[in-house]
Amino acid sequence: MGAPHDHEPPVVLAPGYSPLAFVPPKTGSYSLPSMGLAADGEVLDSDGKRLRLHDVIGDKPTVLSFIFTSCDDVNGCPLATYVMRSVHDALESDSGTAGKARLVSFSFDPVFDTPEVIAAYGAQFRAQDADWQFLTTDGARNLDPILEAYGQWVIRDYDDAGNYRGTMSHILRVFLIDRDRQIRNIYSTSFLHADTVANDIRTLLLEENPPAAVFGL
Amino acid sequence: MKWRGFVSLVSILILLVQPTAADETCMSPYMAKIVGQEDYVYIWTLGLEGVGDGEDKLVTVDVNPASDTYGTVIHSISMGGRNEAHHSGLTDDRRFLWASGLDTSKIFIFDIHSDPAAPRLHRTIDDFVEKTGGIVGPHTNYALPGRMLITGLSNNRDHGGRTGMAEYTNSGDFITSVWMPTDDNLQGATKSGNFADGYGYDARALPRRNVLVTSSFTGWNNYMMNLGKLMGDAEAMKRFGNTVVIWDLHARTPKKVLDVPGAPLEIRCAWGSRSNYCFTTTALTSKVWLIYEDDTGEWQAKAVADIGDASKIPLPVDISISADDNHLWVNTWNDGKVRLFDISDPFAPEQIMEEKIGEQVNMVSQSWDGDRVYFTSSLLANWDKTSGSSENDLQYFKLYKWDGKSLAPEFNLDFIELGLGAPHQMRFGAHALYGGGTAQSPSGLATPPAH
Repeated sequence: MGAPHDHEPPVVLAPGYSPLAFVPPKTGSYSLPSMGLAADGEVLDSDGKRLRLHDVIGDKPTVLSFIFTSCDDVNGCPLATYVMRSVHDALESDSGTAGKARLVSFSFDPVFDTPEVIAAYGAQFRAQDADWQFLTTDGARNLDPILEAYGQWVIRDYDDAGNYRGTMSHILRVFLIDRDRQIRNIYSTSFLHADTVANDIRTLLLEENPPAAVFGL
Repeated sequence: MKWRGFVSLVSILILLVQPTAADETCMSPYMAKIVGQEDYVYIWTLGLEGVGDGEDKLVTVDVNPASDTYGTVIHSISMGGRNEAHHSGLTDDRRFLWASGLDTSKIFIFDIHSDPAAPRLHRTIDDFVEKTGGIVGPHTNYALPGRMLITGLSNNRDHGGRTGMAEYTNSGDFITSVWMPTDDNLQGATKSGNFADGYGYDARALPRRNVLVTSSFTGWNNYMMNLGKLMGDAEAMKRFGNTVVIWDLHARTPKKVLDVPGAPLEIRCAWGSRSNYCFTTTALTSKVWLIYEDDTGEWQAKAVADIGDASKIPLPVDISISADDNHLWVNTWNDGKVRLFDISDPFAPEQIMEEKIGEQVNMVSQSWDGDRVYFTSSLLANWDKTSGSSENDLQYFKLYKWDGKSLAPEFNLDFIELGLGAPHQMRFGAHALYGGGTAQSPSGLATPPAH
């Protein structure tokens, strides 16, 4: 508990970088109620091909993270990317879950994060053959409705002359989406950890394929 | 940067990251924080018969000393009636303020981001009881990631204290509800003592321990009753909560029911990275209780301090923990006092100061740096005092400066004289949260700032 007057100031480094400090609930022992339909919209993949967001969500449990590649906030986008890779590694290490989930990193900075940029960014983190999509948009017209639907509001920093400073602020949110495109969980900085996300994915997979009943004779 | 290099960089950064400052200390850990001076305090205010329009309202006070309208009411929006306005809470992105009524069970969602100086009503939830399966009296509006957790006080079957909690999306759509554990349905929880009353009141989360802590008050039959009549009704006085429940935060399942007799109310959890404990106070027995994780990982409850003289019924209400976890402000409604406890040893709080704030006092909110402490007066419509030694000190919003030793009054707004009503929950607002006052599109691209 700490001796009197031995208090340390609040620590802000996200829990997602450290071992999980608790035992998560047993897979399948809890429910993840739906929080509504995950929104659709027009996006660009890392090859510059136009597609719909719903083209990459809806066939397997998907983790969707909103990022921008030039983010330097260790508890922001880098945390999300770190956790996404860790989730991938955890699921791939189990033959029962390997290949059964998708990761999607979606940039909300279409000015800097062109398809070429996000392709290069993704190449640094995506394990070979990982089902991890990196998406962007062609501008605010297609980006804004998606961000509004997911409650992702970005504040761009401008100087007194109205020039963009190159930095942005946003609330980190990562979404877990099921095969019916229903949002089943939302993680923010304090709650984003690979172990809990992977546990939730396993819970969704168990929901889709419950263990067969055993009948005693 | 390759993956392995990224992992190495993170390892270094873990050693180098410095703590940041943030705003008032009692909010959800999932929320956006204000750095520096708050611009506004939004006060959810109970309408009073014969005072102004008599309606519940959200009042906005300018609290930035650099402003020309510092210390004045700059905006008010009335709700068209009285709902027993009580508590409010912000969404995790602080774009919306949820304010609820204990009598009508309505929840009003205010847009505070479009113009922080002039909140506007965004949506009204008027089917809370129906959607939740009978929960009455939405009390705490608590931010979780992308959604709100709402605790109840009562139910629509007998209007007693058995109740539950509900979750809504940030946009106001119902997600799910769960009932508090009771003797006849513990829902897998361990009953550690004598009580499993199924009552509710406040909720606070400790995400890094995967814990949600809830407390217990009383039902609609009691909180809507005149206080004098209630205190003279021995049977009614038995129907107050005596429990704190520890929940698995991720699974939303109750794990343990702790005995905390005497109506434990507000819960405030410590901020320190190894401080696995929370405080609550009991209204009827006038004690500070510590809810803590012991060395074996079990959660326990222990009475750790007395608050005033319990025989005089000071009635502890709101509490506020300092950002460094070393101090706890405790208001006692009945004697109108605030008491400050040194809680640097959470097992042995020590009162170090007390001060009379008004005829009655309920809520206390402090800035993150602790320099500013705000107070409001109202508890419940049928409980609030309507007369006293100082008629203009009954319903107020007051700011004090705290220098570490004493409170210095800064300003006092008399809500009856201003025709507003009985002020209750306070929440802070700031232009800086939304881009410094310039409206931006979700991406910040479509509407650059005008210069």
